[in-house]
Amino acid sequence: MKERSSGKARNIEILRRLSTVREIIIFGVSVGMFILFFFTSEGKFVSPAVIDIISVAVSELGLIVIGVALLMISGEFDLSVGSVSAFGALIVAKFYQLGLNPFLALVIALVAGMAMGAINGLITVKFRLPSFIVTLGTMIAWRGVIYVITAGIPVGFRVIETHPAFYNFLVGDVGVIPVPSIWFIVSAIILMLILNSHWFGNHVYAVGGNKETARAMGINTDKTKVICFMLVGMLSAFVGVMRVTRIRGFHALQGSEIELMAIAAAVIGGTLLSGGVGTIVGACLGALVITVLEYGLIMSGIGAYWYKLVLGIIIVSVVIINRFFEQRRES
Amino acid sequence: MKKLPLMEAKNIHKWYGKVHAVNGVSFIVNRGEIIGLIGDNGAGKSTLIKVLSGYHRPNEGEIFIEGEKVKINSPSDARALGIETVYQEQALVDSMSLARNFYMGREPVNRAGFLNKQKMNECIKILHRIGLFIKSPDLLVRSLSGGEKQGVAIGRAMYFKAKLVLLDEPTRALSVKEVRTVLDFVKEFKEANISVIFITHNIQHVYGIADRFLILKNGEAVKDIEKDATSVEELTEALMGDRNA
Repeated sequence: MKERSSGKARNIEILRRLSTVREIIIFGVSVGMFILFFFTSEGKFVSPAVIDIISVAVSELGLIVIGVALLMISGEFDLSVGSVSAFGALIVAKFYQLGLNPFLALVIALVAGMAMGAINGLITVKFRLPSFIVTLGTMIAWRGVIYVITAGIPVGFRVIETHPAFYNFLVGDVGVIPVPSIWFIVSAIILMLILNSHWFGNHVYAVGGNKETARAMGINTDKTKVICFMLVGMLSAFVGVMRVTRIRGFHALQGSEIELMAIAAAVIGGTLLSGGVGTIVGACLGALVITVLEYGLIMSGIGAYWYKLVLGIIIVSVVIINRFFEQRRES
Repeated sequence: MKKLPLMEAKNIHKWYGKVHAVNGVSFIVNRGEIIGLIGDNGAGKSTLIKVLSGYHRPNEGEIFIEGEKVKINSPSDARALGIETVYQEQALVDSMSLARNFYMGREPVNRAGFLNKQKMNECIKILHRIGLFIKSPDLLVRSLSGGEKQGVAIGRAMYFKAKLVLLDEPTRALSVKEVRTVLDFVKEFKEANISVIFITHNIQHVYGIADRFLILKNGEAVKDIEKDATSVEELTEALMGDRNA
């Protein structure tokens, strides 16, 4: 038993040392996919227009993935990110319809996102429930509220005509760089700094790695987790607003399935489902791989229907490969 | 002038539902004293420790630190009072580095809350002082041996100037050699005038280093005696005796 655990220790040590190497590998995979899709799409894939679309898609998914990864490192899940994101979008679209300044509506949406995150977090920690179930419930519930409010009818949001500043602030371009990518990169850097170099990050790793130890060391584990939930909620609502601005309208299905894509990206990027292990860089690369795969298949004429089959295979393969390497190193 | 004890626990009671886990235990801990808290499984040792470390609140009873009555409602309260607990398997987070573990919950930070990593790396030197040589502060705790982990937790308690350290079965599941290493670490506390409550069910492990023994049975303190006034045989008798009664 002891030998086994110290063997495991060694390989986790190696894994940790290789974590940058591992991130380089994931990056290599996405570059490899770029090259592959360049040929299979007969060059269309690497056109400026497609790269622009992919950058926006990576940024929207990535903004949620970095939050989800942080939360997973703290040992919890959030399945409600898609619904929260749609709710944020709906809040902005509705308040805008009522004549409110969209920037103010954005602030309300972000606060609502944090509040929805806080609800997930508080229910999870106070009743000691698995967050998987709690957020499954809120995912369905918020989506239900969206249907009740909209009756399934799309809500227009033509903010670009009345408030171009708002449009440019969220989804415009700075030179050739789409603004969503700037939001994504800046947010990722901030979260990375917090996780690696701030006391809060130390608490997040501690709480996810061993909750009882963290508690014995005087860390407020409940508060740490609730803050992570709130961050995810805020990021999700932000992405929802970004998307409704870009698409110029809200529909009741907006953001559905993004919760699973976010978890998939975090896992591909090396976040452990059991908590305590993961990086923001890995999460960003996971988002990149998933997005490149989707658009690459579409541009290659293979079609969106195949995308999910391939993605599913990749997710399971990543987990199997990880397990295989762990066992190899153990023996 | 009579010296006040470092800590005094008076008539501590703790029930779990209908189970009376700790039944009116009173004892004192003097400065720099090592107390062997001995008892079989289910004798109430862990519950008593969890009361002192803020994990559980007692149903009844009072705790005094240096003569002042205190309320310990959480582990952070206990830490603020200078009571540090070293749990047997919960002392460190395996998936984190040595430096991150050492300063967990008390990270040295700048004004914006960012970690002072240079200072955190000094934990290696601090551990050298108690005879624990670990190569790198970035080493994952998972790769340390059981004895080394105890050493890190003990070094941490000393560094943060604990007044009273509660060691929860520090020698359980360790090899003979490692037990000796851990006992050496515990002696360092005494030299630093830090009091220790050493919880164990193994009299042999604690006999050599303890100054006084407190034996718990069925939630009650059945013996509280100085080492000079007793022997291993007598303690064993107190621990095992009246089994059939």
